Amino acid sequence: MLAKFILTKVHFAAWSGIALVIAFVLLGPFISILIVITGDSGGLWGHLMNTVFPRYVANTLVLMIGVGILSLFFGLSSAWVVSRVQFPGDRVFEWLLILPATVPAYLIAYTYTDLLEFAGPVQGLLRDIFGWQTARDYWFPEIRSMGGAILVMSAVLYPYIYLLARVAFYTTPVSLHEVARLHKPTSTIFFDLSLARPAIVAGLALVLMEVISDFGTVEYFAVNTITLGIFNVWLGMNNLTAAAQIAGLAFIFILALLVIEWRARARQRFFDTSQRTNTISKSPPTKLGILLCIIICAVPILLGFVVPVSVLLTFVFEDYAISDIKSLVLSGVHSLLVSFFAAFSVMILSIIMVSVATYQNYRIVKVITAISAMGYAFPGVVLAIGVVSFAGALDLRFIGKLLGEGSSGVLVGSVGLLVFSYVVRFEAIGYGAITSGLGRSSPNIVNANHVLGRSFTHSIFILIPRLLHKSILAGGLLVFVDVMKELPMTLILRPFNFETLSTYLYQFAKDELLEEASLAGLAIVVVGLGPILWLNASQRR
Amino acid sequence: MKAIFEGVCDVAIINSYYYGKLKYSKVPVQREWADRINIVFTNQSDRGNHINISGGGVAKHSKNKQIATKLLEFLTEAPAQLLYSKINYEFPANENVTPGKVVASWGAFKEDKIPIGTIAKFAPLAQKIIDRVGW
Repeated sequence: MLAKFILTKVHFAAWSGIALVIAFVLLGPFISILIVITGDSGGLWGHLMNTVFPRYVANTLVLMIGVGILSLFFGLSSAWVVSRVQFPGDRVFEWLLILPATVPAYLIAYTYTDLLEFAGPVQGLLRDIFGWQTARDYWFPEIRSMGGAILVMSAVLYPYIYLLARVAFYTTPVSLHEVARLHKPTSTIFFDLSLARPAIVAGLALVLMEVISDFGTVEYFAVNTITLGIFNVWLGMNNLTAAAQIAGLAFIFILALLVIEWRARARQRFFDTSQRTNTISKSPPTKLGILLCIIICAVPILLGFVVPVSVLLTFVFEDYAISDIKSLVLSGVHSLLVSFFAAFSVMILSIIMVSVATYQNYRIVKVITAISAMGYAFPGVVLAIGVVSFAGALDLRFIGKLLGEGSSGVLVGSVGLLVFSYVVRFEAIGYGAITSGLGRSSPNIVNANHVLGRSFTHSIFILIPRLLHKSILAGGLLVFVDVMKELPMTLILRPFNFETLSTYLYQFAKDELLEEASLAGLAIVVVGLGPILWLNASQRR
Repeated sequence: MKAIFEGVCDVAIINSYYYGKLKYSKVPVQREWADRINIVFTNQSDRGNHINISGGGVAKHSKNKQIATKLLEFLTEAPAQLLYSKINYEFPANENVTPGKVVASWGAFKEDKIPIGTIAKFAPLAQKIIDRVGW
């Protein structure tokens, strides 16, 4: 008996050790960034503060506030009407509304520019109709501007808010709702919003993190945000230290957001336990109300999906798209492979780390695993710097010595390192999915498993995956779609001659050859559709 | 170039090979844009027209130095240089190679001879100026 007890203890300790090693490897890139940050920036800060830095910060703030407000509007209004109002097509709109999540922000930026610029079809048509000759004859909003960036980014980012808010609306306990109606019949919307607040804030935090780490859109629209500034300082001024320091500041920005998100999620747990039943009957509106509901749902879908996909389809049908079908297919295969391996690794590592952190009593394990899942908070560009210098150090100090001279450089420029970088960046998604999943299931189940004589290893690999298959699926699918869309890290870290759909798209789009890139863009959207619809279905059940 | 065609502006600074690509594009409208535009080489009475280069090099710790050097040699020799000039409408970097017909038709011009290393050295300063004037 004693021997068995000691064995169990050793077993636990071994798993804690494994979780810690994983966490430290994931932390490697962050530590590398910290080391770079402490370097000497060559007095660049004085120059930056006097010239561009205030503008970077202001632009970033304006963009965050703008996208925040507009995606809240799109996401909440649509989520509310599909879950509270009965109107024709409500069930169809419900899943159509997620489709924009498959469209990368940079892709929608390219397509809208093509559509709305002076030489594009929309303005051309207006000129034909009204007989205007030059740009001086009329006013038309400039798409490549702050306003344009806010519009296009909101159009593809609102689904984060929509998804989380919809679930919250569905799970609002009907009893609370009845009380609210008795109290003040007109206040249901505000009541719903205030009950769903933790979910809304969590969705908003995700949106804002995407905004701050976006590179493709702001570069194309020439909106000088902090992330664009990092690029200017790094590549334009050849000053990696200052670039990393700007990134550090951006990180503090995001850390604040994360704290908000954590607090929101902590409070949401309370609401989850209080739910009793979830069927609040939908109310049928007036004719005008129906029209309004349809408009509320149709506008974001049109903006975020129908318009950009139509533009891409037009290019494809006009037959300008295909330049090299073989390399396009190869890029597609690459995209699928790295997305699959990244999603798979993220979920396995998350299961191990979260299980250990939840069921073991070492506080240090809990803290370190949580910190190691913060990659989402770094702009991809910065994380790429961290990954390169971390892998470079490993190559030089360990692998080079282990395998002898001439074998260094095994990691840098390998597909494995690219997948590793995705894991570092998107670990947060898996970690969050498993944490919330485990939080909802009783710890007694795992304890019972041990009483029945099963090991903790059995719990990790058999019991918990069975218990949490929905959370694992949801997290894995989200990571998959995010990796498909990821641009900046892939651009920096991919090996030579290794294109994914997003880098294939970028190399044409940056030269304004959108026609040639359109098929790759469509492919990203199409491949993302499956997982996103699957995710939607699994959430509804 | 699309904007010049549409009358938004009269002048644009471009890489000349874009002009070639539009002029001989398989998309009819793009050929139309290029037909309405003339190439002008800048700074001819001073130090000459700036030239963007596509460069290549071998990393210090490269594992395949020999093969890499061979590739660079191939890329800088006449057959490859001519391909760049004929298909992508670029000026050959190798002085001994005569450019393709299309590129040659744009005429001779005075080239800015500032070495690329010097440009790299002053790039941070240039970025600072850009920051200051808000370009």
